[in-house]
Amino acid sequence: MPPRYGKLAVSEWGKSAPMINGYRTEPWKLSGARLMEFRYEIDDDPADTLLPPALHPAMPAYASFAVMDFPDSPVGGFRVGEVRVVGRAGGRPAAFVVGSFCDSKAASRELSARWGSPAIPAEVELMARHFDIVARVSTNGRSLLELELRNRRPLPSLHLQPLPCMNLARNREDNRLMLVQVDFEAVFAQSDSGSERVVRLDRNAFRGAENLRLMSPMSAAFATADVTLARIQLICDPERPAESGATHLD
Amino acid sequence: MKFGIAYEISVPRPWTRESEKTVYDRCLEQVRLADQLGFDFIWAVEHHFLEEYSHCSSPELFLSACAMITQRIRLGFGIVVCVPEYSSPIRIAERTATLDILSGGRLEVGTGRSATWTELGGFHANPDETKKTWDEFVHCIPKMWTQERYSYQGVTWSMPQRTILPKPYQKPHPPLWVAVTSPGTEIDAAERGLGSLGLTFGTVEEQEEKLKRYRRIIRDCEPVGDFINEQVATINFLYCHEDNSEGVATGRCITDRFVPLATQFVHNPEAIPTRSGASQGLLATLRRQASAPGAAPPGIAIGKSRTNHSRVEEMGSDGRRLRQLCSQRTGGCAPAAGAREPSSVRTRSDASF
Repeated sequence: MPPRYGKLAVSEWGKSAPMINGYRTEPWKLSGARLMEFRYEIDDDPADTLLPPALHPAMPAYASFAVMDFPDSPVGGFRVGEVRVVGRAGGRPAAFVVGSFCDSKAASRELSARWGSPAIPAEVELMARHFDIVARVSTNGRSLLELELRNRRPLPSLHLQPLPCMNLARNREDNRLMLVQVDFEAVFAQSDSGSERVVRLDRNAFRGAENLRLMSPMSAAFATADVTLARIQLICDPERPAESGATHLD
Repeated sequence: MKFGIAYEISVPRPWTRESEKTVYDRCLEQVRLADQLGFDFIWAVEHHFLEEYSHCSSPELFLSACAMITQRIRLGFGIVVCVPEYSSPIRIAERTATLDILSGGRLEVGTGRSATWTELGGFHANPDETKKTWDEFVHCIPKMWTQERYSYQGVTWSMPQRTILPKPYQKPHPPLWVAVTSPGTEIDAAERGLGSLGLTFGTVEEQEEKLKRYRRIIRDCEPVGDFINEQVATINFLYCHEDNSEGVATGRCITDRFVPLATQFVHNPEAIPTRSGASQGLLATLRRQASAPGAAPPGIAIGKSRTNHSRVEEMGSDGRRLRQLCSQRTGGCAPAAGAREPSSVRTRSDASF
């Protein structure tokens, strides 16, 4: 068995978990999406407390910062900014969403009900310029997250590797807390890489508190793509190792 | 066919002051025994920062100790990472030549470039540059070994004219290999006249395809060294037991411990959008094969001796030129009740081959 597992206090964390309406979600096709993602190494040991015991940590521990603009969805356009801590479900990478914000109340509500997203309302901006790209999440004028991708340069899209995300949600049907895997399928039209700068991170706003300590940058990417939020295929008991606690849905 | 043992030098937690020393001592004891039993070679990896999975960051030191306690077994430095942030090629030429002298000309030199961000990121090395640096290194190192004076003006590194010393004991120089994990590296190996050091687990059919490409291209190669090393190595787990179900269960335990350890590390494409490392190497295969329920998966030599014998024979279908490597896990799973200690079981299985 792997030697380390996440140490997140699931029941405490789960008190504010979103309610999901069962696991029979239909996919959403979101065309013309713009996606920016930074991957950043974080301090190893404290990061364990930001992963549920179902997951074991990556070595080195790292976080994924994503700001995404979806201009077209069944509930209209929306933007999401979120922070995930990347671990392993069994042998596979899985990004646990520690904090998420969405600029549309309707989208936020649907993402929670369908995929267990913890997104809460805030202002989210994504500005792509020729030389750099800036993303911001803020609430009532207070900046929570600000990212800058500088010196953008073209990148072959086939080199991008999206990560499946894990949301901790309570199922309305049985009131159980579960990890819900959100598979993210993308057909990339264009992509860029560049150097990354986290200008501002309000760790408390993203529920990382003192345990989300940035250490060393890994990569930054920006892409346009047609995205599908897939139907839910895997759920997992957050308290048991994914090797034994995962359930594949038909 | 020749047989060997590959050392990752795994040290499972919990760690005490004695943990690493105990593992190293046991490895040396096994190497001494392997030499006496007639194994053909050992390989020791170069890995950095890979907790528990591999505590073998200075294989040349381990191999120097091996050279001192053995008589005939060949010693594989496998692989030395050809990335300037890890080592200058000058230091690689010097260290390998010294080891060749100390071992009386028994050194094999594997080259490669590392597949993980865990390692490359730790040295602030860019995964996108490693193929280029590897290519320059493997062209330079044989000349450093064989030319009295050497100078170089290159893309990723340069040096003024100097005499690089010592020179290897083997003439013209030790055999050179490259680790073949990413798809297409077998072509790089063949084009440069390098031995193909297969470090992925896979079915015979999968390996056969790579082998065909390698054999076809190496006929027209431009060797980087003074001779063509047309050897192919493959790696496998090996665990034998008279009772097949016991053998499979314990063998599975070994592979099942190996997989989660290996998958904790961050592979290059996960960390950074890169054309480097399109393959996850052995991990993908292990996930698919070793974790599947049922009998021993194809391509993994665990179970009773007769079954393993067939698997190894299949792997050796290329005849005299194919080598078989047996991966060594130290401190992994205890053998099932009534089974022999892994080293003695391995000894017995070798005898049956």
